[in-house]
Amino acid sequence: MVNLPPPEILLQLSLNGALGGAMYGVAAVGLSLIFGTMRLIFLAQGAMIILAAYFARALFYGLGIDPFLSLLIVVPVGLVVGWLVYQGLFRRAAAAEDRNISLLIAVGLMFLVQNLMTVIWGGNTAAIVTSYTASGIEILGVRTSFTRSMGFLIALAGTGLVVLFLRQTIVGKAVRAASEDMEAATLMGISPHRVNAIAFAIGIALAGAAGVAVATTFPFNPFAGFIFSLKALVALALGGIGNVAGALAGGIILGLIEAYVQYFISGGWTNAIAYGVFLAVLMFKPEGLFSRPYKKA
Amino acid sequence: MLKQAFLERAWPRQAWIGIAIAVVAALALLPLLPGAIDSYTFSFLFFVFIYAIMAQGWNLVAGFGGQISLGNHAFFGLGAYTTAILWSGNYLWGSLYDAYPRLYYFDPVTMVLGGLVAALAAVIIGLPLLSKLRGDYFALGTLGFGEIVKVMFINGGDFTGGAFGVVAPAGTFDTLLPHYVVGLGLMVGTALAIHLLMRSRYGLALIAVRDDEMAASANGINVLRVKVSAFAGSAFIAGIAGSLYTYYIFHVGPDSVFDLDWMLLPLMMTVAGGTGTLLGPILGAFVMYAVFDLARIVVPDYHPVISGLTIILAMLFLPKGLMRSFGGRVRVV
Repeated sequence: MVNLPPPEILLQLSLNGALGGAMYGVAAVGLSLIFGTMRLIFLAQGAMIILAAYFARALFYGLGIDPFLSLLIVVPVGLVVGWLVYQGLFRRAAAAEDRNISLLIAVGLMFLVQNLMTVIWGGNTAAIVTSYTASGIEILGVRTSFTRSMGFLIALAGTGLVVLFLRQTIVGKAVRAASEDMEAATLMGISPHRVNAIAFAIGIALAGAAGVAVATTFPFNPFAGFIFSLKALVALALGGIGNVAGALAGGIILGLIEAYVQYFISGGWTNAIAYGVFLAVLMFKPEGLFSRPYKKA
Repeated sequence: MLKQAFLERAWPRQAWIGIAIAVVAALALLPLLPGAIDSYTFSFLFFVFIYAIMAQGWNLVAGFGGQISLGNHAFFGLGAYTTAILWSGNYLWGSLYDAYPRLYYFDPVTMVLGGLVAALAAVIIGLPLLSKLRGDYFALGTLGFGEIVKVMFINGGDFTGGAFGVVAPAGTFDTLLPHYVVGLGLMVGTALAIHLLMRSRYGLALIAVRDDEMAASANGINVLRVKVSAFAGSAFIAGIAGSLYTYYIFHVGPDSVFDLDWMLLPLMMTVAGGTGTLLGPILGAFVMYAVFDLARIVVPDYHPVISGLTIILAMLFLPKGLMRSFGGRVRVV
């Protein structure tokens, strides 16, 4: 029988887990958009997050731009980069029957970005240390760092904006339609390439936002991204593929699972249990934890 | 009649068979050249063989079977660990091994066991995954499975050596010749086995399931059994490749044998060579590994960048793979 720890520790665990998991969530929202329209497992998402982290770091140490302020640069750059990445790399492959091709281009992009970062910035661990990195906030007797809370806010804001975009704009509607049935959407006059490019632009922009959150919270290195890709995939599956808000929730759930496993079992098993939950969800509830029965994904 | 037409379309022309025999003969005779055994080419070719075997295994489940597995590195690692554990613990040959440790290169029993352990794992994970999941979801599931296996070996305690891994008894080999010969033999043997398999009833069933699951099922094919056995066969091949690698590397650790590269590179080689073709994986392994290795020698600092670029360029400009771009009248779908 496990001894339950005092409530403030449970609360602390939950808070840390949720705040950390929100970062997987925001990465998963981007993956969800790309997967939804292109049916592509975009394994390079994590590498793009770390690239954004290095970019934010360069802006901070090179030009003295505060990392959170640099969101104003990183996110628009991410939109442009995402658009270009689609047009340059995936446009032709997206039309191909064989979806291995897109998957492998993503893998090639991951190799390329990881190793370019190693060439440019070296393979060592990097971090952003600002005057407020060490400062914390206390809510209801539970402490958390300022940067983690900011990361959480970024995730909420990013997901919120994407949800608004998908619900309120005509372009967003097109993206949603394409996610549900690309063929039917095409028949309705939606251009698959434009929808794919938009999904990519937003996906990479979200990777940029996640990158800023990562850069201010954790030390990172060029190869730290892949684990983010995997965790984002898990979050995506938990939330239900094609469900954007669910992806954020999935990330938070994953963060909670990790925090609890770390405390109650051991740090070494965190990943195995997280992936075990992932497999179980894929098998028993492939439409995600939040789908309503009448709405098949 | 229909079957005949299908086979004619599905398999490369006689010319390819002739070329293949000539290449295999040349590779087999290579060790007879003076100085060849000590040359760099030898170890290069050994790695090509391992990758070609892995690629062939992935091609079985994904190219012919249509189920994209992203977990083949786990089967490679399982085969490698099985071999290292049996070897270092000397579980199989007892006094015989103690008496002649220098004679121990490759024993087929250990290698087959490595393959069987991987195949068993594939059946255990494949039954639930393949009965429930299709397409991308299966790919995601196998990716998760690979990570779980890796964590289990890191946490395996003394049995798996934890994060450090298992070291096999050193000093048993001073030439690469046996590795070369066994590698070549396995590459050729795997290709022949898959060739025969694909000409059999089972091969037709596998392709039928890939092309139209519903129609295959309506024609009395047990879809789940066909899929799971292809997955297990793929795992068996990967396990044997892992076993072969252990005899070369001696030290088996979670980060080396469960490295994602053991899944991604063979996948890439297969697609570059031509998925669903018999010679595609082998050709892809030769060409892509040559490019990577050349980059490693010529621009050592940038070689992973070049590898990434090569993958992207190959996919952009040769999406059908070498075999189907230059191979003449081969399988089209």
